[in-house]
Amino acid sequence: MKNFVLKLLGPGPLGPVLALVFLIFLPLFIGESWVSLMVEMIALAIFATSLNILIGYGGMVSFGHAAYYGIGAYTYALLLTKAGAPFLLAMVAAPILSALGALMIGWFCVRLSHIYFSMLTLAFGQIVFAVALQWYGFTRGDNGITEIPFPPLLQSTQRFYYFALVVLALSLWGMKRIVDSPFGKTLQALRDNPLRTEFMGINVRLYSLMAFVIAGAFAGIGGALFAAFNHNVFPTFMHWGKSTEALVVTLLGGMFHFFGPSVGSILLIFLDKIVTSYLRYWSFVLGILLALMVLFFRGGFSGYVMERLNAMGAKRGEGR
Amino acid sequence: MDFSAFFMQFLSGLSQGMLMVIIASGLSLVFGTMNILNFAHGSFYMLGAYFCFAAVTLLPQISGNFWIGLILGPLAVAGIGGLIERNVLRRIYSRHLLDQLLLTYAFVLIFDDVVKMIWGIDFQSVRMPAVLSGKLDILNRSLPYYDLFLILMGPLILVGLYLLLQKTRIGRMMRATASDAEMMLALGGNVRALFNRVFILGVWLGGMGGALISPQAAISPGMAVSIIVESFIVVVIGGLGSFWGTLLGAFIFGQFNAFGILFLPRMAIIFPFVLMALVLIIRPWGLLGRPED
Repeated sequence: MKNFVLKLLGPGPLGPVLALVFLIFLPLFIGESWVSLMVEMIALAIFATSLNILIGYGGMVSFGHAAYYGIGAYTYALLLTKAGAPFLLAMVAAPILSALGALMIGWFCVRLSHIYFSMLTLAFGQIVFAVALQWYGFTRGDNGITEIPFPPLLQSTQRFYYFALVVLALSLWGMKRIVDSPFGKTLQALRDNPLRTEFMGINVRLYSLMAFVIAGAFAGIGGALFAAFNHNVFPTFMHWGKSTEALVVTLLGGMFHFFGPSVGSILLIFLDKIVTSYLRYWSFVLGILLALMVLFFRGGFSGYVMERLNAMGAKRGEGR
Repeated sequence: MDFSAFFMQFLSGLSQGMLMVIIASGLSLVFGTMNILNFAHGSFYMLGAYFCFAAVTLLPQISGNFWIGLILGPLAVAGIGGLIERNVLRRIYSRHLLDQLLLTYAFVLIFDDVVKMIWGIDFQSVRMPAVLSGKLDILNRSLPYYDLFLILMGPLILVGLYLLLQKTRIGRMMRATASDAEMMLALGGNVRALFNRVFILGVWLGGMGGALISPQAAISPGMAVSIIVESFIVVVIGGLGSFWGTLLGAFIFGQFNAFGILFLPRMAIIFPFVLMALVLIIRPWGLLGRPED
């Protein structure tokens, strides 16, 4: 049994495949409101996992990641409402525009380290937010872009859920491939010791920028997916509050595990739903939870589970 | 635009800047000494305003209530800050940047709801003290007395802070710790106790800013989040941890706001961030800060 659990959570494909099968059949047993919550979880999971490429793998704490989520959402919304573009084209264009935005902004940001990197990403993020808020002629300001047309094929919540699931699977698969590639390993090396990595002949800035652009592109996918589901986009999608949401999710789920942010997204939205149905003070509960996680469970939820399992594995080894 | 309008706008920007310098110097002091960027600073500012409001409403209705609130409010906030430092923050000084930011952010979330539990979600307001409620006529225009009061309070508190840091024993120890905490520890300085005092002082400054703004602004749970980003702008422009840099940053921020709203009202919220980004790109250590080794 323990062996099975270890294998399930190990690096092999067994865990993700079983999770996918579970997610395919889950909507058959739960109500529509829960399915729609799961779509939100999926969009947040893509967004947070993309941020974790920067934080967990690259060691870069971005405070403006919502900018690329928002650019994706607005690209999708504007293409459908203003240009009448087909749905799939808008979904594909979103990450491309987000990547372009990330390239322009990241070009400046990757020159800085630590807190200065965080502050510059925050500044750029708020600039993008402010543009979306103030450019009434194009983005309709704080009214947002509402009633975005939608392909009839995906009209029902359940159908959209399956579409989102496909997007999630492809995005996570893509990101996993990237972080496991030599590029991903280099990224981790530069997180652990940037100076030494540079001495090895690695162009640290270029690698950081590539990570920034990749993370931005996947954030854009998350944004476009949520925009499609929500039918409306607002400037708050780009606000730093949205960026901190991804940070919180990453920490809750655990930034040292690839699926940590996904687990965190499920936890956050699930707890939000449960707590708010009993209590008005969700952010109080979240604040306490966050503080406890930072203080006592640094690896987040996934880190805690892995730690317990390793302890179990070690004990069994001793017994032999 | 004639000179008097220009001058009035300058004064209005100056009063905003002076308020910002009080708040932001607390943030900068804590960062400069303890190397912690405290997200919860905005919450302490908010608590300062609420505590001042509480003093005005709860105390028997006498005329000096605002002044009592102005003195007691920030002190109470500083006490809470001291407790948080001693029991919670202390555990994470050697941790990763993300942990520090998220832990202090957790307090933003917590205090946000705590004030909602106590005071509700409606906007609250503190009545302007009678002495300061009039307007002053200069150059055929009028400036609220309260703006003048803020313009005076900024330098007053700043001078006090400067004297404390330069002339007193504890101030010298704070500066020594800021420049080299390890050496301070090796010399037998009690860095732990010092960190606690620095944090209390920083929080007091934030609370003071909140108490000072309370008669002029609507007091609401949202005020923590907006001020913290503005404080970041100010300290980044001036240079993180730089005393005079914070003053310069706050001055620039106030003027940008005042004239930005006048000339390009819709761009006004973008300017400060553009300025912040430009400073970070050209001089990451800020206008008056010193580059890291």
